[in-house]
Amino acid sequence: MREKLRSALSLYLYFFKIGWFTFGGGWSIVAQMQTDFVEREKRIDGQELLDIVSVGRSLPGTMIGNVAYLFGYHMCGVAGGVLAVLGIITPPLVILSIVTVFYRAFRDSALVARALVGVRAVVAPVILSAVWKLMKAGTALPKIAFAGLMVLGCAMSYIFKVSSVLVVLCGVAAGGVYWLLQRRKGESGK
Amino acid sequence: MTTVLQLFWSFLQIGFTSFGGLSMIPLINSEMVGHGWMTSTEVSDIVAIAEMTPGPLGLNCATFAGIRVAGILGALAANLGMLTPTFTVCAAAAVFFERFKKSRVMGDIMTAVRPVCIGLIWAVIIDLCLTNYTAGGSVQWAGVLIGLGGAYLLLRRQWSVPRVICLAAALGMIFCKAG
Repeated sequence: MREKLRSALSLYLYFFKIGWFTFGGGWSIVAQMQTDFVEREKRIDGQELLDIVSVGRSLPGTMIGNVAYLFGYHMCGVAGGVLAVLGIITPPLVILSIVTVFYRAFRDSALVARALVGVRAVVAPVILSAVWKLMKAGTALPKIAFAGLMVLGCAMSYIFKVSSVLVVLCGVAAGGVYWLLQRRKGESGK
Repeated sequence: MTTVLQLFWSFLQIGFTSFGGLSMIPLINSEMVGHGWMTSTEVSDIVAIAEMTPGPLGLNCATFAGIRVAGILGALAANLGMLTPTFTVCAAAAVFFERFKKSRVMGDIMTAVRPVCIGLIWAVIIDLCLTNYTAGGSVQWAGVLIGLGGAYLLLRRQWSVPRVICLAAALGMIFCKAG
């Protein structure tokens, strides 16, 4: 019990720490989880992180809240989930409270605006570095099928502006087909 | 007190109907203007600020509107409303997901969902590149250079994300034009 509480608290602290750098709609959080949990601490593998992101992205609510909850729950149950969420929302809450009070000064400050142009310039590489490593997480699919599904997901979202929930559901449908194919293969092999 | 409850209720609705990103702006706008909590101009200002500062758009709007209308308590209520889907729908999904993820069906389904999800992230990257590296139809070379430098530091030199973001902020102050 004591042990569990301790690891739940460490989840709060970890997500509190990365919460200050939640740029790009929360995707930079995924990049930080990739380097810290997958690469360095090996608490989960790249596939598990992708699963958490897929589920978190397709449920209602804020993505990073969902992703933090799913990871926290995976590590140590409901307490872990709740504390991870509270950890990740504390920094934005603090920052926005300050910004709200100094709203006009913040909105009109050229220095802040220039710093943020710089930050926005690295958001894409941050996410890119994560997706680059996640692509190498390994898959049971043939390479061509993996690439095809990836291009399909990207095109549906970017070109045809399909909502990400529907895109993930298409992935689920494709998974159902894959499962049927695998089962048939298994039966004919017997 | 009623205002605090109203804030909670408004953001609960916004939370449940939003699946991330800019799709929630019309609803935020109508809720804020409808209750007389903000003007339309303030809503578009806060959307711009919420996009620049860390934290997801929805939570940032919740904090801004909450503090404006009912102080810190309002901000907490609005944030809690925004997070209600996470603590209900997502919490239920987590139980279900942890229980079944070792099953064959779930394993095969997720095998196909993963590349689709990677595709979704690529779409985000393309979108970010187009908006962040151009301004008024011309390429922003300072931004492109900072971006390339960032990619090099992240991928080749194993710099951490916070370090790269802080460096980019400093470089932005020196070299970028406000836009």
